Amino acid sequence: MMKLRDRIIAGERAAIAKAITLVESSREEDIIQSHELISELIKSPGHAIRVGFSGPPGVGKSTFIESFGSYIVNKNFKLGVLAIDPSSNFTGGSILGDKTRMSEISKNENTFIRSTPSRGSLGGIAVGTREAAIILDAAGYDYIFIETVGVGQSEITAANLVDIFTLIVGPGSGDELQGIKKGITEYADIFIVNKNDGDLASQASKTASDYKSALSFYNKDSDALETQVVLVSSIENKGMDEVLDSYNKIVNVNKANNQFDKRRENQLAYWLEEEVRNKILLKLRSEKETSELLEREVRRIIVGETGFYAASKVIIDRFLSKK
Amino acid sequence: MKKDKSKRLSDWEKKFSKEVKIETSKEFFHETDEGININPLYTQEDLLDYTFNDIQTLPGEWPYTRGPKASMYTNRPWTIRQYAGFSTAEESNKFYRKNLEAGQMGLSVAFDLPTHRGYDSDDELVMGDVGKAGVAIDSVEDMKILFDGIPLDKMSVSMTMNGAVLPVLAAFIVAGEEQGLDRKVLSGTIQNDILKEFMVRNTYIYPPEPSMRLVADIIAYTAKEMPKFNSISISGYHMQEAGANNVQELAFTLADGMEYVRAALSKGLAVDDFAPRLSFFFAIGTDFFMEIAKLRAARTLWAKIMQDFGATNEKSLTLRTHCQTSGVSLTEKDPYNNIVRTSYEALSAVLGGTQSLHTNSFDEAIALPTEFSSRIARNTQLILQNETGVTNTVDPLAGSYFVEKLTEDICSAAWKIIEEVEELGGMTKAVAAGMPKLSIEESATKKQAKIDSGKQVVVGVNKFKNPKEPKIDVLVIDNEKVREDQITKISTLKKDRDDKILKGHLNKITEAAKDNTGNLLALSIEAMRARGTVGEVSKALEDAFGRHYATNVGVSGVYGKFFEKDEKFMDIQNKINIFEKEKGRRPRVLIVKMGQDGHDRGAKIVATSFADLGFDIDMGPLFQSPKDVAKDAIENDVHAIGVSTLAAGHKTLVPELMKSLNAIDKNNKIVVFVGGVIPEQDYQFLYDNNISAIFGPGTSILDSAEKVIELISKK
Repeated sequence: MMKLRDRIIAGERAAIAKAITLVESSREEDIIQSHELISELIKSPGHAIRVGFSGPPGVGKSTFIESFGSYIVNKNFKLGVLAIDPSSNFTGGSILGDKTRMSEISKNENTFIRSTPSRGSLGGIAVGTREAAIILDAAGYDYIFIETVGVGQSEITAANLVDIFTLIVGPGSGDELQGIKKGITEYADIFIVNKNDGDLASQASKTASDYKSALSFYNKDSDALETQVVLVSSIENKGMDEVLDSYNKIVNVNKANNQFDKRRENQLAYWLEEEVRNKILLKLRSEKETSELLEREVRRIIVGETGFYAASKVIIDRFLSKK
Repeated sequence: MKKDKSKRLSDWEKKFSKEVKIETSKEFFHETDEGININPLYTQEDLLDYTFNDIQTLPGEWPYTRGPKASMYTNRPWTIRQYAGFSTAEESNKFYRKNLEAGQMGLSVAFDLPTHRGYDSDDELVMGDVGKAGVAIDSVEDMKILFDGIPLDKMSVSMTMNGAVLPVLAAFIVAGEEQGLDRKVLSGTIQNDILKEFMVRNTYIYPPEPSMRLVADIIAYTAKEMPKFNSISISGYHMQEAGANNVQELAFTLADGMEYVRAALSKGLAVDDFAPRLSFFFAIGTDFFMEIAKLRAARTLWAKIMQDFGATNEKSLTLRTHCQTSGVSLTEKDPYNNIVRTSYEALSAVLGGTQSLHTNSFDEAIALPTEFSSRIARNTQLILQNETGVTNTVDPLAGSYFVEKLTEDICSAAWKIIEEVEELGGMTKAVAAGMPKLSIEESATKKQAKIDSGKQVVVGVNKFKNPKEPKIDVLVIDNEKVREDQITKISTLKKDRDDKILKGHLNKITEAAKDNTGNLLALSIEAMRARGTVGEVSKALEDAFGRHYATNVGVSGVYGKFFEKDEKFMDIQNKINIFEKEKGRRPRVLIVKMGQDGHDRGAKIVATSFADLGFDIDMGPLFQSPKDVAKDAIENDVHAIGVSTLAAGHKTLVPELMKSLNAIDKNNKIVVFVGGVIPEQDYQFLYDNNISAIFGPGTSILDSAEKVIELISKK
């Protein structure tokens, strides 16, 4: 196991890949091993900036990552990409096609690109995404891009994985503008309006200014950075320098006012809660007595023998009294 | 005594129902891949007042359903035009001359993949592909050798070229010039059909919009300068090869044609100035009557389309087409059966009224044709023309209740798709939206599922198998030698030319491409005359346009549907579930194409059907190098890599892949399997390079999936 740790820290490609397989695995002994490994790796953290990408399907997330990723790699940064591929299939298999849109960066020696099927997991990310980012960080990558499935409600979970949360939108997404809830702007650090090219160029720039004015209504804490809006064309590689400038600005301002570390601490708390919640539920379901109780209480609510909150209390009490 | 019509029909109905033991013949029909119902009987009742097909018309008369000319084959039979080309210009030239002596009437040049994609033979990127699936042409010098001793004013030459269409057509024109010929006398066809490349064949270079400009420039130039030359061959062939059904093939091809007409009109040409030089190219598969009706429907619809564009010249209104028998219908198993398949397909094409025809050689599912197999292919047509009497009557099937009705059915089904495309804003937009590509992939996957599930019989493959498979000789190309020869020729060429003059021409091309001024074919001719190479001219254009990279998303769920409750299918799913439990994840397989081979039908079908079975499939981008594939495979920690190869690159690229995998991780346990067109002679070579399995054409997906899961479970 320690050998794997050392190989990861040395940046060995095959070791990183095997480690990610380990953290994604559903096999009991793999899970135990992955916990050991991650505990070791967080002792030697790197300096990676983790950037999340969300946005509606078809908006060009992968194409943007290809274009911006090439820009970053040409500046001699090492880039890791974790692409959560939405495609899944009625039989449980999936086709991971995101990489076909990243043919340039996937060739580059300074990248590591891993696709993962989203399966049933929550929040537009996959099982093991958080841990995979830890592995890439320890392996010395400068930037880690996390491309989420982008189904809309997933922002909170994905945003809790990263230092910079990017929302990519297309031209003419004005209708969605109505839907910008205060919630999303709290999570998104930057809006990127893609497809500023060809027939869509003028529409894209209008969309960007719409976003700017809409976002100005939502005030964050006074010393926090306002949400950035950048206009880009992934196919013409336009606006990439501005995106990087914005990212640097976000990191620098957040570091200066202590938000950067604070966010990471909050995220730790979030994931700890998640872990505890998941494990408790898992335990509840895996033990005969409590899982039967769970089923029984549901039926009792349905037939009106008990109420929702009463049932919940019975289950929790039974679970706690067992300890 | 004479019975009345309805009495006779009801009597027949009774007899029929009794014979086949069903209630009514209405329940008894065959549904084709196109979704058209074929009835057991057609009568005069079926000859209604149709919307498209007017059965009263005559050959050479609007809407030309019965043929573009009044006399058709009674005056002059169709042109026997065999598509060929391999290794060097010298070798191909020898082959052409032999064929012309043996009765072939027109030439059709196959270029190798690097030429298609605008790379010179000395480019590192194309190491495995030079001279493989066609002839390597780098400059005017190669083109002159290719046609040495073949008078270009007498011989019509067809060139399958779309990506690097400018430098190649320019080289052809200059080669003619240097034979002492004015370009006005050159006759032939350039394929120049870029839209279908984005849909199925993938030998594009530039993005769709600038690519459309090249098409328009060529149409504009030839309309003025080369009156005997067909400026485009609007091709459905590759769609059918990629799995499109006949209605899709017809509809998308005609819709492509409409888009090219619009592109030419935008250059300020009048429709009758260029439309007479538009030609078509269709595939002829094994569905005998469907193919005949397709060609009749094609002419009918095109006449209508061109009339709507305001064409008045009869030559603009008539659709003239080349046909080729289906490559995808050929099987590796029991290959002599392919001679029979090709013969029926050829008869279909002729009864449909094609203007020229290529018949495939029986060994083309495995390799490039040999001299022996090409002779049989050519003689198939010579026998049709000289022994069967099919040339004696124009459109002999006209008036057949069935064929006329089928013609109308195809017309209306295709017209519906054309209207859909038009609603999307025409074919360039539809292609950009991925609509045709996806519907073709869906159809391809269905077809594969029908064969794998035994619902469609392929003799010698899923039924009537030959217990003693015959061994056949195949043509072997020494790729290394061809590449060395080409490199020598390129360096001589570069030594003898004036670089400064050439540079000036190349700069002009880049500027004209950027500013959207001038005619790019005219400028390319200057550059090729100054001994520029195909790669250099392509690069000059790339500097302005950029290179196009396609995304590669497929359909899903289509294959699995055909196997509900199928035992073998469920058995494999079960094995995969057990695998997942034991290993903590699903079996993961990377499916790749390497080199310049863009035929991705097979790769796509394997990907979608494996995913339906429960595999996690990584889909690599097209045109990957072995090194890229290795990096991709290691980073995603796949259990296996499936290499799809159809252009004979496997002997170079597969060993290179194994080397690259070991260079990144010498302890890797990745199973590598290969599928596609691989001659049996090469099997041992691949096994020696640690390839775990080889799946030839016609392998059932279920069999290959079972084998793969077995192989990776062992590791």
